[in-house]
Amino acid sequence: GDALLPAPQSISILSINMKHFLTWSPVIVQGATVRYSVEFQGEYERDYANGSWIPISECSRTAATVCNLTEDISASVAYRLRVRAELGATRSPWGTMEGFFNRATTSLTPPLLRVLADGQHLLVELADMGPALQFRLLYWRKGHEGRVQQKVMREVSSVVHLDTMEAGAEYCVTAQTHVEAIDRSSSFSPTQCVRAQGDPSVWL
Amino acid sequence: KIFHLGACRVSMSMTEIRAGFSAIKANIQSRDPLRSLSILSHPHSLHKVKVGDRCCITHHLFTFYVDKVFKHCRTEDSFVNRKISSIANSFLSARRKLGQCREQNNCVCGEESTEKFKQILANYEGLNVTSAAMKSLGELDILLDWMEKAR
Amino acid sequence: SGELYCSLPNPRNVRFESVNMKNVLHWSAPEGTGDGVLYKVKYAVYGVGKWIRKPECRNINRTWCDLSSETSDYEEQYYASVKAFLNGTCSDWMETTRFNPLTDTKIDPPMVSVSSTDKSISIILTAPEKWKRSPEEESVSLLQVYPGLQYNVSVLNKKTKKRWFFSISNNTLVVPWLEPGTVYCVSAQIHVTTPLLDSGFSKEHCIATLKDK
Repeated sequence: GDALLPAPQSISILSINMKHFLTWSPVIVQGATVRYSVEFQGEYERDYANGSWIPISECSRTAATVCNLTEDISASVAYRLRVRAELGATRSPWGTMEGFFNRATTSLTPPLLRVLADGQHLLVELADMGPALQFRLLYWRKGHEGRVQQKVMREVSSVVHLDTMEAGAEYCVTAQTHVEAIDRSSSFSPTQCVRAQGDPSVWL
Repeated sequence: KIFHLGACRVSMSMTEIRAGFSAIKANIQSRDPLRSLSILSHPHSLHKVKVGDRCCITHHLFTFYVDKVFKHCRTEDSFVNRKISSIANSFLSARRKLGQCREQNNCVCGEESTEKFKQILANYEGLNVTSAAMKSLGELDILLDWMEKAR
Repeated sequence: SGELYCSLPNPRNVRFESVNMKNVLHWSAPEGTGDGVLYKVKYAVYGVGKWIRKPECRNINRTWCDLSSETSDYEEQYYASVKAFLNGTCSDWMETTRFNPLTDTKIDPPMVSVSSTDKSISIILTAPEKWKRSPEEESVSLLQVYPGLQYNVSVLNKKTKKRWFFSISNNTLVVPWLEPGTVYCVSAQIHVTTPLLDSGFSKEHCIATLKDK
């Protein structure tokens, strides 16, 4: 009975900012809802556990053609993924994704950053991008590009205090996401500049 | 995080291993009824390992877990199996870094630490393989606590 | 062990409750038993063979027993167990799960002290101390127990209602360039990344910057 159901095709991984999703093309059977089951195999299973595969319960007999692997792909080693179609008692052969996936290849996007000035205080707001990501902020006083300062932020609450500013001076900030587990960073966000309150001449 | 293991300075992320272990700690430890026996902490405590031997004994311990422990810990619980896989694969990549560092720095275990590791293996061999593996996995926090003291 | 035939229902929910490594064993009375139930307690170091009785918690009618002294070495892990007695009969020994003082304790928020000038506030944070047997015993700060300990500090401008967050590793923070004659409220939290332990936020400490000279 298994041979009647073809294996899913076009199996691929979409990995952005350390969130990893397996996708595949649907297996079409007129008038029926085909379901799918997904399994993964890490380097450990391949080399030390007789090539065993591990099912992902959230993606067992799912009608969706996408599966969130983020919780399971949580080591920087090469993983293999496979999915099969199921219709009643009938099962397709396994469709195995071509090649391996290592989370170190995830694509990293710069953070969504908002820079604020409150009096002589330089503040930033950063959109939360999940526990695996940190933020590296570079900031400098305009015209003093040679003296760039850096701050690394792990968790982000709402408004985070970056530093104090000279009265009336303009300060610029840019940020990148950084993933300690894979030691990689995104490109930098567009630079944003704000001006501190106060009269600069008072300090000349 | 940077771990100072004797001559080795290794950057490893223990957060994910910790999170994986915390998620299954109660389940795994409940499968180990032998309160009076420990694989890692008695009769010799890891906390008595000399600083210079840390790199070598950590590599030995990671190899011990990869070669002897994880494969015998399969359970009937899919969630637990997935977390064990996550920990095992994280151990693999951490051991790789440790191995590189160990070769570069020629980390060798002193006599005392060699004896301690032999005792760990003897503790392990003293039980049937599933009980020994499950007990060792349940003691992962003993290893992590000791390593993190070395940060 | 010469014990009576134990038909009494068992103590329930036997567990350690730990704050700053003050490790107290708690339990609930056996179901359906009124007053008069007495208990005895024993504990064991994981990996060491024998149970050790706790004399101060023998034939007690309360449902807790402070085992901080017996479990103060946080390089070890522990079990504890409770048995109930009533009218000549008894319950089984009921055990805790394995207790790891380092990862299973809760941490109090830091102590916060704030001072101000006309344009700035200075914040000094003090991490809680590890439980100790007596006031004379040398204090151990949780900073020494958890080297990666950090502080998250929240500063609220009561006039504008704007709240800023700071994340610092050392225990002092000066916030300059503030508005004179304004009330600022400060609250702080301890954050340990691994093992993952967070305290709650302290209660708010409010202070006014001095009026402009």
